[in-house]
Amino acid sequence: MRDESGGWLEWLVPFAFIVCAGWAIWHTPAYILDFIPPENQSLVDQMTGLHERKDVTPNMPGLFGGLADPIDWAALILIPILFVVGLRTVRCAPMEFEHWRSIDRVALFLGRVTMMLIIAMTSIMLYEVLLRYAFEAPTLWANELTLWIAGFVFMLSGFYAMQQRCHIRIFLLYDAVPRWIQHLFDIISVVLIWFFAFFLIYGSYHQVFYTKFYKWEMFGTAFDPPIPATMQPMVLITVALIAIQALVNLIADWNQVPADKNIAGDLDEDELEAIKRSVGNA
Amino acid sequence: MDISTISIVLVLGLLFTLAIGMPLGLASAVMALVVMIMKFEPTLLTDPMSFGQGLLTSRPGTGPLYILTQKIFDLLTEYVLISVPLFIFMASLLERSGVAKSMYDALNFWLSRTRGGIAIVTSLMAVLLAAMSGIIGGEVVLLGLIALPNMLRLGYNQNLAIGTICASGSLGTMIPPSIVLIIYGLITETSIKALFTGAFVPGFMLATFIIIYIMIRTRVNPSLAPLPEPEVGDPEGWEKGRMFGGFLAFLVAGFTALLLLRVGIYTATGRNQNIGEDQDAPILGMTEHIPYLVGIIVVAALLIFLLFGFKQSREGWRRGKGLVPPFTVIGIVLGSIYGGVTGITEAAGMGALAVFLIALFRGEASVGLVWDSVMRTLRSTGTIIWVTVGAAALSGAYTLAGGPTYIAGLIVGAEMPTFLVLLTMMVILLFMGAFMDWVGIVLLIIPVFLPIVKALPIEEIGIIGQLEPRQVAVWFGVLFCMNMQVSFLSPPFGPAAFYLKSVAPPHISLTDIFKGFLPFIGLQLLALSVLLIWPSIVTLFL
Repeated sequence: MRDESGGWLEWLVPFAFIVCAGWAIWHTPAYILDFIPPENQSLVDQMTGLHERKDVTPNMPGLFGGLADPIDWAALILIPILFVVGLRTVRCAPMEFEHWRSIDRVALFLGRVTMMLIIAMTSIMLYEVLLRYAFEAPTLWANELTLWIAGFVFMLSGFYAMQQRCHIRIFLLYDAVPRWIQHLFDIISVVLIWFFAFFLIYGSYHQVFYTKFYKWEMFGTAFDPPIPATMQPMVLITVALIAIQALVNLIADWNQVPADKNIAGDLDEDELEAIKRSVGNA
Repeated sequence: MDISTISIVLVLGLLFTLAIGMPLGLASAVMALVVMIMKFEPTLLTDPMSFGQGLLTSRPGTGPLYILTQKIFDLLTEYVLISVPLFIFMASLLERSGVAKSMYDALNFWLSRTRGGIAIVTSLMAVLLAAMSGIIGGEVVLLGLIALPNMLRLGYNQNLAIGTICASGSLGTMIPPSIVLIIYGLITETSIKALFTGAFVPGFMLATFIIIYIMIRTRVNPSLAPLPEPEVGDPEGWEKGRMFGGFLAFLVAGFTALLLLRVGIYTATGRNQNIGEDQDAPILGMTEHIPYLVGIIVVAALLIFLLFGFKQSREGWRRGKGLVPPFTVIGIVLGSIYGGVTGITEAAGMGALAVFLIALFRGEASVGLVWDSVMRTLRSTGTIIWVTVGAAALSGAYTLAGGPTYIAGLIVGAEMPTFLVLLTMMVILLFMGAFMDWVGIVLLIIPVFLPIVKALPIEEIGIIGQLEPRQVAVWFGVLFCMNMQVSFLSPPFGPAAFYLKSVAPPHISLTDIFKGFLPFIGLQLLALSVLLIWPSIVTLFL
């Protein structure tokens, strides 16, 4: 196996993870009905109808007397397996934050997943452009699928940026004070982030996880992707992940001497080399 | 709690959270929460034990706080926002391909015998790069790597070289497509297409100012920009003109041939027949256009063979063909937006594809190239989008608390003359720009400023020309964009300086770089005052 970032495993595992997660998300109503069915019978009927309309493999019988068919089960079982494999195979790229710990593998792997999502999003959009303008046969689904994937990209990229410490910060005062005050500042930051995360989740979990997710609210269009049902929980989950990562960063950086920060962004030596090669004066 | 207290606490809170180095997006999110608490349940601040009794906390899982989640969700489902990662993707692909180097060589060939030629080439190249993507960092780095060594080797004045590179490199956010304008349009609900159109003239005006400045400086004092020694076999005098003519003729002929092909496809598929009343006939795409198109090709061919000479033309093409890929990409991106073919998001995607195909064609594309570019895209996306996320929450909360109305009332009530209000805003923007990233400013300050500007008496804006009410938001967006041009150069945090520092020879210090900026900041301020004095320059093509 190549020891540097970008090897075939780092393409394959996140991609397989996306396929399984995508399948599972699409068939979530089946899981909801199997595991935590609503008590209200009319809601059960409504969800069943919804599932039957959206099932990719409608003729496959469900397993264990439920609605979820063998592929649904396989996807559900593969997700954690692929996640663990992904955590074990992810490699830190030279442009990434170098002082990483094993717990940061979560952010790194989800970063790889997001990279695959960016590629998928771009490809789907270009496919739609090709169909619409060259063959005049637009699809109903491509634009909304792009929008849906983009939502995940936007959310997960924030978590990744948190682990990479590349969120925009102002270091004017921070760099001028002694280390112990910096520690104090960092602690206040983390407390405030937790404060925000707590109130955001406290103030909307019922709306998000019951009204949107549990009732599987759709986008209300022809293709009808479950964007509200998935993106709103995603907002809360990402904010929680960011809060956790903030704490992890605080602990990990406690004894680090703050590196010489490049205010203009995180253009590092290795990247410069790559650009230099491309203009031919390395 | 009343809105004036909330506003003061908000400003102080933001200053505090930013000063302690909190990430900008999360700091705004926290302040959004604080505003919500002050608005709906201020007792929670004085008496934390009352948690669970007020409007905000008495019903777990729902209530006013859900508005924040809803605001973030609304932002995530904005289709235009997708163009941000796509433009970043395109720019990262561009940086890693050799397109820029070939472009430089091509431009330099035509202008090498002109006084100050490389500096002018740098500016022109910056304009072309700016019209392809909307990011500045990569541009300054590319120009710094390609043009700076050449200028210093020739003995160009160091300050002139540095200033040219950074001032021109910053044009990326001024000339459409521009990420600054996309985010501005999203936040203020202004048409992004109109913003792009409005920014064209001011963007080119600034570029022209830079080029004129270079020409005047180097002619007044030729020692600032020594000419290179003529190379053996370099074409002289008219020879070069003929080569350039030949190159242009090739370009026109090739483009016309493509149009002809398009007519052929349209005729074959029947797209240009039976045009309904609601459809526009494709421009230059009808069967009756064929004779004209063929005519143009024949004229170009005659020019190549008779006037310019085939040999010179072919040599001209060989020298100049580095300009073809950039023009193709610009044509695809801007052509899709303005030709009414696709929206901005699709145009960005097509631009990324075009750059990738060009890299493939040049033999530079590889799995590693895509991997690195996507990773860079991921990093920049996370950074930019999350500031937007935080600000969406904050502006949602503050609007709910009645903030914008309060501030607009404050300014209008102060009865300051319009010009003074605008001038104060410019000073604030310039000052903030020196310390803060543009994303932060557009998201934190513009939602406050724009309602004020809209409330100003419109006939008092500017001295020459007259804006229409619906154009004010566009004009202010372009004005803001021009402000941000200055912020890229202004010490102590002008990002352009840091980008250049990372690629400049070690003997050039940051102080040297900032010193080189001074005249160019003057040019930017000049362009800014033109926009203030003559606002309708923005709406020329609107």
